[in-house]
Amino acid sequence: MLSRRLIPLILVVSSAFAQAASRLDLDSFEKVWTTIRDKHWQVKPGGLDWQAIHDEYRPRVEKAATHDEAVAVMQEMLGRLKQSHFAIIPEVVYSVLDDDGEGPGVIGSGTTGIDARVLDGHAVVTSVDPGSPAEKQGVRPGWEIERAGGKELKAVIEQAHSNPAVHELQLTRAVLARLSGPIGGTLDATFLNSSGSKVKVTLGLTPPRGVVSSFGNLPEQHVWFESKKIGSTAYVRFNLFLDLPHVMASFQQTIDNCKACDGLIIDLRGNPGGIGGMAMGMAGFLVDKPNQRLGTMYLRDSTLKFVVNPRADVFSGPVAVLVDGSSASTSEIFAGGLKDLGRARVFGTHTAAAALPSAFERLPNGDGFQYAVANYISEGGQPLEGLGVTPDVVVELTRTALLADHDPVIDTAVDWIRRQKKP
Amino acid sequence: MNRRVAFLVLMAAGAGFAADPLPSAASILDRYVQVTGGKQAYEKRKTEIAHGTVEFPSLGIKGSMTRYAAQPDKYYYTVDIAAIGKMETGVSGPVAWENSAILGPRVKSGVERAEAIREGNMNATVNWRKLYPKVENQGIETIDGEECYKVVMTPDEGQPVVGYYQKKSGLQVKLTTVASTQMGDIPVEIIASGYRDFGGILEPAKVTQKAGPQEFTMTLERVEVNPAIPPETFALPDEVRKLVDKAAAR
Repeated sequence: MLSRRLIPLILVVSSAFAQAASRLDLDSFEKVWTTIRDKHWQVKPGGLDWQAIHDEYRPRVEKAATHDEAVAVMQEMLGRLKQSHFAIIPEVVYSVLDDDGEGPGVIGSGTTGIDARVLDGHAVVTSVDPGSPAEKQGVRPGWEIERAGGKELKAVIEQAHSNPAVHELQLTRAVLARLSGPIGGTLDATFLNSSGSKVKVTLGLTPPRGVVSSFGNLPEQHVWFESKKIGSTAYVRFNLFLDLPHVMASFQQTIDNCKACDGLIIDLRGNPGGIGGMAMGMAGFLVDKPNQRLGTMYLRDSTLKFVVNPRADVFSGPVAVLVDGSSASTSEIFAGGLKDLGRARVFGTHTAAAALPSAFERLPNGDGFQYAVANYISEGGQPLEGLGVTPDVVVELTRTALLADHDPVIDTAVDWIRRQKKP
Repeated sequence: MNRRVAFLVLMAAGAGFAADPLPSAASILDRYVQVTGGKQAYEKRKTEIAHGTVEFPSLGIKGSMTRYAAQPDKYYYTVDIAAIGKMETGVSGPVAWENSAILGPRVKSGVERAEAIREGNMNATVNWRKLYPKVENQGIETIDGEECYKVVMTPDEGQPVVGYYQKKSGLQVKLTTVASTQMGDIPVEIIASGYRDFGGILEPAKVTQKAGPQEFTMTLERVEVNPAIPPETFALPDEVRKLVDKAAAR
């Protein structure tokens, strides 16, 4: 007699990534359209007459003169949903990976080791990876990036700001994309340093920090995890909810080594998400009460509760979660859920509000297709899509603080932890 | 006993030719035992280790699976996928549990526990009368061009399970139910195909399971029949034992 095969649900939640039209493009269009028709959590996807959408866009794909035109039409169709996590991932992303095993495009092309955010309309270095080309050239947090790769970043930022559809997540990505290029190449950049002087440097482009991690149809990505102590407070940061065995084990190790810590800071700034189930798994190290959940996922034919399984040994001290406009998806599920449960205090700035659980498939033309399969409501009753997580304590990074070697978001979280009673 | 089963099989076949009345659900379930090897073959099997692969096509990930079982109700099942790590589930005496790198260890309770214990019964096929007090043949449906009897099996605890048995071959080709999980009740559909003889019992070599947003295919490659399985294979893992102890101390 057949019986169910008991495998936990694996839920992928990740934020979006960034040749002549052919039969393959038409087949791909049909697959994209049909997938949304059959798998979108709403019977009328996005409230649209989906058959009418087919009839509108199919002739345009048929007429497309190039593959790029066909993809642009498909992207436009996906844009009509006005929902995150619907995207066509160019085939080149996969083929580059196949060729050299390094990450492509925004995912994995060469980097300078700089992380940056737009602060008050200016691109500002927020961190520099140890040992990276930028560190070797003396680039410091707080420096303003004026030009990169021959482009004035201010123009990029102003252009983005003029488009209300572009949110902080996309803006940050646009800036970071200017700081990337082919591995082994170089990038000319101009900075304003702490004294306001222009510093022109040529930066090498090296593989991104971390280890290459693959997860099925997701493009390979570099994943890193760091932990340290700030006084008696444990601090962890990781760039993606991926590389599951390594990241979960590292998180557990942090908790195991933190019995005497006065608190725990989980820094999710810049973390765009990954495997949704990891949010539940990590929360299990922090929540001791049974039958708690981070939120609920609504599919067309079922409802899934994001339940937390308390571990045998749970960290019971105060927990601070740090977020910003580039914290998306699984980061929002984790931060929002712990906030709603009253288990963590959230510091930073408003999150990306892009939190739809999604899946990835390959299309007949070789491109990848990311599509959302569900809506998600955090435990407090609010959808994360479009609303995001509002921090309990809004703290903004400033160039002045970064130049003084301070991170005001971390500083505020540490102050709060030290004011709490010891566990 | 085999004679009785054979009689039931003939009754079922006769009913098929006459178009009505429908054969009883019991006769269909007993016929399934017969066509897949017979009661004796099932009862001769005291232990087994099944090896195979698991693939999640929409995610593009693959791994290996191993299922250990021992009469009457010992069960341990592990799936290993490089990108996810190990996922284990088992039944150890009264404790039904699971443990995975992603969600951590947990102990099942309520309906979910009852379902796990039922599914961990090594001879569920033969023992259907004990597991499903009520069975009913609800008619004929066509699946992949083949007429199938739709048999609804209702356990004491948990949702009914609907099995679809081919009229011609007697083999079960589909199962639907609503599974009770910690994440909620999830509709499940299982399609079985490629029945092969694994050590004297026919089993589907390919099983595709859709559960909510997740679909995967399991391919059974080989089954070790009556191997010696160390008792510790079915013991509670330390992480789960700690949870059991913690719950007892509350």
